[in-house]
Amino acid sequence: MADRFMSMRNLKFTLHEVIGASPEGSGHTRKSMDMVLDAAFDFAKKALHPLYEEMDRHPPELIDGTVSVHKEMRSILTTLGKDGWISAIFPEEWGGDNMPPSLLHAVCFIFASANYSASVYSGLTMGAANLILTFGSDELKRTFVPTMLEGKWQGTMALTEPEAGTSLGDLTTAAAPQEDGTYRITGEKIFISAGDHDAVDNVVHLLLARIEGAPAGVKGISLFVVPKLRPNDGALRPNDVTVTQIFHKMGYRGAPITALSFGEKGDCTGYLVGEANRGLSYMFHMMNDARLEVGMGATAIATAAYHAALDYTRNRRQGRRLTDGSGAPPIPIIEHQDVKRMLLFQRAVSEGALSLILQCSRYEALSHTAPDEEKADYHLLLELLTPVAKTFPAEMGILSTSASIQCFGGYGYCEDFPVEQHFRDMRIHAIHEGTTGIQGMDLLGRKVVMKNGKALLLLSREIDKTIKRVQDYPALQAMAQALSEAKETLSTTTMTLGGVAKEKGPEAFLANATLYLELFGHVTIAWQWLLQMGVVSEKLAGQNVRKADLAFYNGKLDVGRYYFGYELPKIGALSIALAQPALTLEIEAACFTD
Amino acid sequence: MEILVCVKRVPDSAENEIEMNAEGNDIERDDLVFSVNEWDNYAVEEAIQIVDNVGGTVTVVTVGDDESDEVLRREMAMGAAKGILLTDDAFEGSDCKGVATILKGCVDKGNYDLIFTGAQADEGAGAVGGMLAAMMDYPYASLVNKIEAGDGKLTIGREIEGGNQEMNEIDLPCVLSIQTGINEPRYVGIRGIRQVSGVEIPELGAADLGLDAAAVGEAGAKVKKVDYFVPESGDGAEMLEGSNDQIIEKLIEILKANGGLQ
Ligand SMILES: Cc1cc2nc3c(=O)[nH]c(=O)nc-3n(C[C@H](O)[C@H](O)[C@H](O)COP(=O)(O)OP(=O)(O)OC[C@H]3O[C@@H](n4cnc5c(N)ncnc54)[C@H](O)[C@@H]3O)c2cc1C
Repeated sequence: MADRFMSMRNLKFTLHEVIGASPEGSGHTRKSMDMVLDAAFDFAKKALHPLYEEMDRHPPELIDGTVSVHKEMRSILTTLGKDGWISAIFPEEWGGDNMPPSLLHAVCFIFASANYSASVYSGLTMGAANLILTFGSDELKRTFVPTMLEGKWQGTMALTEPEAGTSLGDLTTAAAPQEDGTYRITGEKIFISAGDHDAVDNVVHLLLARIEGAPAGVKGISLFVVPKLRPNDGALRPNDVTVTQIFHKMGYRGAPITALSFGEKGDCTGYLVGEANRGLSYMFHMMNDARLEVGMGATAIATAAYHAALDYTRNRRQGRRLTDGSGAPPIPIIEHQDVKRMLLFQRAVSEGALSLILQCSRYEALSHTAPDEEKADYHLLLELLTPVAKTFPAEMGILSTSASIQCFGGYGYCEDFPVEQHFRDMRIHAIHEGTTGIQGMDLLGRKVVMKNGKALLLLSREIDKTIKRVQDYPALQAMAQALSEAKETLSTTTMTLGGVAKEKGPEAFLANATLYLELFGHVTIAWQWLLQMGVVSEKLAGQNVRKADLAFYNGKLDVGRYYFGYELPKIGALSIALAQPALTLEIEAACFTD
Repeated sequence: MEILVCVKRVPDSAENEIEMNAEGNDIERDDLVFSVNEWDNYAVEEAIQIVDNVGGTVTVVTVGDDESDEVLRREMAMGAAKGILLTDDAFEGSDCKGVATILKGCVDKGNYDLIFTGAQADEGAGAVGGMLAAMMDYPYASLVNKIEAGDGKLTIGREIEGGNQEMNEIDLPCVLSIQTGINEPRYVGIRGIRQVSGVEIPELGAADLGLDAAAVGEAGAKVKKVDYFVPESGDGAEMLEGSNDQIIEKLIEILKANGGLQ
């Protein structure tokens, strides 16, 4: 069982038994969903996982103006295209499968746990194609989408500029209208994932730029399709897009990030997507999905690292029990309490996060398929939980992969084992698709206050439903009570901060938004653990529990107990900190002298 | 060419921790995660490629229980056109000969030019294909790693001890057991799954196949498993631990120290 990177048992449990992902209207049954998951796992195991280390050790290179990536990437992308993975979420007319969001996220989880770098290329194409299909003209759809979905053309999201990262409103890439209705693009983009590479025949950038004369700031940003090679009379011609640099990154090295220059020779054509000046709102439309995907990437990496640590700690013998004599044989380190604690922590983080993200994707599905009067509520829940589902795995994943290394001792710090790479691969998730700081402000400054706090109320009801669901299980009552109190703590903290907002303004209100997000994360993950424990208790109360299920279910109860015993109490400290006036407001930047 | 590929649902060794059952005469099967026997994927891929070249149909068949349709569907999602599930309480506990007898019942009902099995499955006997051929009075070749379709005949390659290769002509109809490495089995994709997920798979039992229930299953089995265990590691065996590189390094050291490597 070495080389295991995820547990299908756990994924299917979470998807079917905990979340009960409703495949209604998608044409999927539980059986067909399992076939999809099994097929994804087979591909991940045989095609992606064997390249996990190799792609890290031989990162992309910029050779003669083109980025060269691992030679297997072409066949991976071709298979993902041919077999319908890239088009899966789209309607049948685009060769798609109308795949429900929860199943898509589960598939992404499988691919990313096998090899995060290899999994992002097609995800980016999917996102870019989604933008064109949602907002683009028929001609743009016909010209670009089919070849993208075949895996032959790469899609990208080209937002960031050297002077406009978090603050996209400051971007300066320019678009000059031409007589034929196209635009001439000039500007620089930076950190563009898969911005160029030789595993595809063309790259299609979904690029944000400002049309000449458009308002300053976020209101003047438009979205364009800017291909590397522009289709012209059946041929592909260079479109004046140059790769000026690739970056040597800490992790996630199998996928390139590029600096791109558009229109150096004044010959870069862009095609407007949808209406002018709506670019950022179009991008935001995709934001929930993109952020959940980042959370899922982090969850997947933490999962793979946990499995590596589990395998190692079962086999590595070192030390003896404190009560053993010195002549006793060394025991597997998994028997040591501190090692067990670290393993529990890793499982608690990754399985809790998996559950939360799939819960979000269920809300996403329900926001489309629920009765009309409920749709908006599910959308609000999704909006509220997205920054949490992105950030909890991204931030806790750093600690979790660090704990994986710790389980290996010195070996974990060396390249012979995969966990140092997991640790490096993990780090990006707190940065891209909006840094943790931005997620905190999004949660507290927008999501919690929108519709007069209705989203938080809806969440509170969802948590109450779970507490009620477990009421027949005495063993869960202390935890149900703890969750109820945690919910109160969250509510009180939110009210206190609301008061700060009124009295002292937005700067004070949001100063500690990251801590608030951390507290919020613990409460929601505890909720997901209680939910999992409730489901398990229902199963255990039933007839004929199989032996392997018994071990699995008892394991779930143990990890849940760990979460309530060791992690949830951390909100106590956070709530104390959050109840104080934010110290950072008083501390001047000038104080950072040495 | 009408091709029948016999496939089996087996415990997935990557997904399971194998444990002995309480009686100690078999592994605990109730709790296992199953998937299709790895060899069978190669057989199905080969059959699909032959049909792509010369026309015909690929049918996959399995002897199993009501959960075994999942492996048939998987192979159909790869590209096999039809699936048949052979299932009956009377089939339970069949030995290799019993399984071959059941499969013969299925072959008799069709009109197949070519029958494939995997070279072996989880139990490692590799016997079913040969027995089926004998019962059908068809020619048989095992461990086939190359096939060229000809007129009424096939040219086939076989893997021989020591990595040598032999080429044979074999008359049709025949039974071949397929070795891994003969091709690269395609992956199952969403498109394939969509085509097969709702398809009805016919189920045939002993009566449908015209079989005497006493000749198959536990009743007909003349080979019975009486024990099953993991051998004790003997003296002198040393388990090397560490990363692959460390193990390789240690192994080379040991080989050198003992004159196995100069
Ligand atoms: C591997 C990788 C892949 C990427 N892929 C893409 C891609 O495909 N497409 C794309 O367009 N971009 C991509 N990016 C860019 C990424 O989205 C940005 O790096 C990110 O948005 C942060 O911008 P920045 O790097 O300019 O940091 P900055 O914006 O300079 O932020 C630096 C720090 O300041 C904080 N900060 C900034 N503004 C505020 C504020 N108003 N309030 C509080 N704190 C603030 C941030 O939270 C952060 O901690 C990628 C980056 C990396 C590293």
